Amino acid sequence: MGLSFGSVLRRGVLAGVSAGLAAAVVIWLVVEPVIRRALAIEDMRSMHGGQSAPAGLPTHGGDEPLVSRAAQVVGGAVTAVLVGVAVGVVFAVVFARMRERLPGRGDFGRSMVLATIGFAAVSLLPALKIPSNPPAVGDPGTVGQRTLVYAVVLLLGVAIALLVPVLDQRLVARGTVPATRWAIDVVATVVLVVLVLVLVPGSPDAVPADVPAALLWDFRLASLAQLATMWLTLGLVFGLLLERVAAPKRALEPVAA
Amino acid sequence: MTTAASASAVSPSTSVRVPVWAWALLAFAVFALYFVSQENGALLSAPAAQMLHELTHDARHALGVPCH
Repeated sequence: MGLSFGSVLRRGVLAGVSAGLAAAVVIWLVVEPVIRRALAIEDMRSMHGGQSAPAGLPTHGGDEPLVSRAAQVVGGAVTAVLVGVAVGVVFAVVFARMRERLPGRGDFGRSMVLATIGFAAVSLLPALKIPSNPPAVGDPGTVGQRTLVYAVVLLLGVAIALLVPVLDQRLVARGTVPATRWAIDVVATVVLVVLVLVLVPGSPDAVPADVPAALLWDFRLASLAQLATMWLTLGLVFGLLLERVAAPKRALEPVAA
Repeated sequence: MTTAASASAVSPSTSVRVPVWAWALLAFAVFALYFVSQENGALLSAPAAQMLHELTHDARHALGVPCH
């Protein structure tokens, strides 16, 4: 059964839109309430004229805001959908290129495997090294350094996701039995992830004293929930859509013949 | 040996031919991701970048991208 790239790409875009919409719902219901708690802290700082917080900490308030809060909430949802579509396009191209090498039962299984790898490599690994922060946390002076750490860890995550399959192919070529091969793959992945987490320097920032630990935890959990929702929806919808390409053909063939 | 042989026997039916323009599309999608998540004035003028930052603000925080 030949599958054209165009049909894979169309399903990637559709799955991406669904993933973006699902992520936008999670942002609206889960992330926004935590952002509101963080903005209340920023407002407290600007009300005290920045006295309660050390100099250089973000205080969005004060003068007239460029964009209203309502527009920011809508803008955030639109951004989530755009990110979903872009991730869906990348997902479709990588899936098409890697289809015959992805493990998993059928296209649904392959899609879920690729979505899991994507979540782990470009979302979870950076989140473990440099966790997300709500507004009111984060020194504007170190944003360049933090962005660099984020980008480096993300690229290292992609590198691990590419390296381990190469190792696996080598082991296949050597005739290693599947159980041993799996064990070596898992150990290699764990060792590489631990090396990244230990060797790459973390965020240079200290969390300001007026930001409660519970707020930070809630925000990081909400952020991961949003990212996991995006990848899970992408994998599920893309997989189901591809399974449906094959299913009607099988059903119709006897009728046509 | 047998696993390698069966793997290569399976591949022709499941492989998808990826045209060259697909990689340009992938590059564009990655650029779009950079634009909505990281662009803070490297490509846009300062007021435009500020506007983009404020509009994408909540999603940038939620995505875990370092933000101010």
